[in-house]
Amino acid sequence: MSPRRILAILVKDVREAWRDGRILVLLLLPIGVGVVSTLLNEEKLPTTRVAVVDQRDGAVTRELRRLAGTSAKLELERVGDAAAARRLVADEEVDLAVVVAPSGAPRAEILVGADASPAARSLVELVPIALARAAGQEPPARPPVHVVAPADQSPGELIGANFDSLFTVLLFVIFVALMVVPMQTAEEIESGTFGALRLAATGPEILGAKALAGYLYGAAGVGLTVVLTGLELHDPLLFCTAVLALIVTLVGFGLLLGLLLPNTSAINTYAGFLIAPFVLLAGAVFTFDSAIGGAILDVLPFTQSVKLIADSISPQEPFGAGPLAWLVIVVWALAGYVILARIASRREL
Amino acid sequence: MRDMPALPPAVAVEDLTKRYGDVRALDAVSLAVEPGEIFGLLGPNGAGKSTMIRILTGRAKPTSGHARVLGHEVPRELEAVRAQINLVAETPNLYVRSSARENLELFCKLYGLPGRRVAEVLEQVRLADAAGRKVKTFSTGMRQRLLLARALLNQPRVLFLDEPTRGLDPQSARELRDAVTSLAAGGATIFLTTHDMTEADELCRRVAFLADGRIVALDTPRELKLSLRAGAPAADVVLDDGAEERLALDEPGEAARLHELIGAQRVRSIHSREPTLADVFIALTGRSLEDGQ
Repeated sequence: MSPRRILAILVKDVREAWRDGRILVLLLLPIGVGVVSTLLNEEKLPTTRVAVVDQRDGAVTRELRRLAGTSAKLELERVGDAAAARRLVADEEVDLAVVVAPSGAPRAEILVGADASPAARSLVELVPIALARAAGQEPPARPPVHVVAPADQSPGELIGANFDSLFTVLLFVIFVALMVVPMQTAEEIESGTFGALRLAATGPEILGAKALAGYLYGAAGVGLTVVLTGLELHDPLLFCTAVLALIVTLVGFGLLLGLLLPNTSAINTYAGFLIAPFVLLAGAVFTFDSAIGGAILDVLPFTQSVKLIADSISPQEPFGAGPLAWLVIVVWALAGYVILARIASRREL
Repeated sequence: MRDMPALPPAVAVEDLTKRYGDVRALDAVSLAVEPGEIFGLLGPNGAGKSTMIRILTGRAKPTSGHARVLGHEVPRELEAVRAQINLVAETPNLYVRSSARENLELFCKLYGLPGRRVAEVLEQVRLADAAGRKVKTFSTGMRQRLLLARALLNQPRVLFLDEPTRGLDPQSARELRDAVTSLAAGGATIFLTTHDMTEADELCRRVAFLADGRIVALDTPRELKLSLRAGAPAADVVLDDGAEERLALDEPGEAARLHELIGAQRVRSIHSREPTLADVFIALTGRSLEDGQ
């Protein structure tokens, strides 16, 4: 295996993908779905209207927004003085007002409407922290907070608002492994360029480069999805390794499809049949609770990867997937690549 | 003075058989091509020509028998000859979304060659002006020239050409034949498959006829035409009144008639009609080259 040849083919594959409209759509579609879904969910968050009287540089406003993060949608309005802020609260134009002392921070007055929402009341708790940070001081110490889920909560409920982002990550990996990788491989064989490459490189080098291209698309796309959807990771290391394991396993099967299906049209034709079972399996992980169904899901690498990824997202680790999950994934991945090597050798491409 | 040791054949095939299920694509084929020779493997579609090239370029395994290129068994020892062989395939297998230069740069990197080879071969096939253009905008002739440029990148000692002029206009076909002749003059061995008998007659020092996966004849084009006496010599004559006559020269009466017409100054034009390789192939197999198998 020559790293030089593998790198040359990898660069060519990425360049060809960038220039192929079909591949670009396949790569951008799941990310687009994820971003739209996140935006729609954001709209569902209650909006808390806050008036801020801050004679200085607006640092309190910035810190307040940062502390609220994605858990609340803030509508911040700067007003001139405390009297104006009080009027806005009394008229129910805002839920609360924060009046920062002109000097000698961190000191402030908080005005809360009588009918303020629970979200507005919980925001009050954040104001002292925002004031301290704005003044460049350590915020007051808070005891650690642990969320204890009710005993009867389902894994899906434990994932909560992150479910859409998780689904986007899975959809992206499925699209890359079962559409993009097979399409690029089948097109190469169909057009005869695979044969041209075989004159200058070995079969394992060509397939190795295509696998690396798949891993690259997968890793880059999942990274982008995490950033764009604001997916909160409880265990980033577990998330990265579980996603990588899923990508590596599925790309092996994607390469196999590319070798076995006669052309790119066949991949387009059967795309629904390829993708639908995986989407259903992803859903089944969160809904099946029968012993037989659970046992079937336990021996599949995709469902085990879904469990590991879900565990990495939620602090409650809804599945508690452990070594068995990794064993299942590794066995399937090895089997897939061994079958791929045997078929590639027999196909005389 | 000691004799120089004889060079091994550039291509040697012994009892080569390739089966796809019940179909014998090649059936105990044996042949040898000398270094620097232009060798033609002729036969109709499906005769086994492309299978032979696939084996010789290491992309298919023989069912039995041996195939050697530059003294190395293929595909087992392909790595040893990979850098010294190349192929112009029958299909224009190029990356059409990439430019001509990008197509060549890829293979330059794969062969570990210096980047300047790209400009050199583009110049050689007169595509330097189109180097930055996407291949999808190229005509068939330009694509074929780019395929040749790619095959020349590594300055191969053995160049395989699989139906290289199929689909080309006469001018492009002529240019490609000139390039092949010039390569052979530089010492490269050319292994050509074609079903164009005129092309083979013009280019090849020796040709082999392949039918049903078997070699049915192997010799120089001239010897093949003479030895088989395929088609008697004849003359096509156009007379001063526009009438046309074909006169068989091995028939005493018709030969005398030709003398008489010439003596009477009635001949406007005269063309000798000699047997062609296509005639030889029909005489040997009972089929024309246009018939598929």
